[in-house]
Amino acid sequence: MAMAVGGKKGAMGDINVTPLIDVLLVLIIIFMVITPRIPHGLDALVPQPNKDKQPDESVLNRTIVVTMDAQRQVAINQQPVDIRGLGDKLIDIFKTRNDRIIFIKGDPTLTFGDIAQIIDIAKGAGIDKIGLMTAAVEAGK
Amino acid sequence: MAGHAKAPPTVSDINVTPLVDVMLVLLIIFMVITPLLQKNISVDLARTMNPRAMPDDDREDAIEVAITRDGKTFLKKNPVSVDDLTAKVRDMISGRLDKTVYVRADARAKYGDVTKAVDAVRAAGVEQLGLITTQIERPGNISVSP
Repeated sequence: MAMAVGGKKGAMGDINVTPLIDVLLVLIIIFMVITPRIPHGLDALVPQPNKDKQPDESVLNRTIVVTMDAQRQVAINQQPVDIRGLGDKLIDIFKTRNDRIIFIKGDPTLTFGDIAQIIDIAKGAGIDKIGLMTAAVEAGK
Repeated sequence: MAGHAKAPPTVSDINVTPLVDVMLVLLIIFMVITPLLQKNISVDLARTMNPRAMPDDDREDAIEVAITRDGKTFLKKNPVSVDDLTAKVRDMISGRLDKTVYVRADARAKYGDVTKAVDAVRAAGVEQLGLITTQIERPGNISVSP
């Protein structure tokens, strides 16, 4: 029986690079697709009603409430502020304060994105506790 | 006519490399398609610069309230009315240490609808909310229209 075998036997020849790169790139794509996407978000608080006596005057006077009306005009404790300056103004106010808490009240016709923008700016200004002043929060307070 | 030797019977070894290649590509296609086929409520999240990672929203037992652009509320992907929301959330948080509720609101949902849902959740005893948003890098992206 003649050796009618084509191709070399024994040691492997030169590896074909193209299929190798092909398979490796496909594996890379698979791992890129697998990476989990972690949800990101902003923390907000809706305080439960205070069961004890009413909070004293000093606390009420010191609360910072950022409001946005239907015309998207922002105000801090009734003082109108341009939204571009909101972040710096908040940083200013909280330079002398330890309790980094603000409340946000928005007109119901606004979009959630508008309020999210304010919360975002507040987070950027370093305020950790942001309360949402909803109708129920205001009533229960 | 000289007798030519008969050609040996054709035996083909399967080329493994192209096989593996095609299989992996099919695998990728299915890996990409499957999450999109799940019942996912379409919500365009608000774009923010300073969100923090909230990995607990991915958990099986995470309480997620979704609010679409037209104001429909969903509790863990199931449609629910705002009135039922309080009772259902109260059930879900009973016996839990972490009473955080995640709110996945569309950026163009009316804030009034979001407030109603938030009030309902608050009535169930929840204080801590996580408002889910997407992260953007460049500060110039936020449209600040006066």
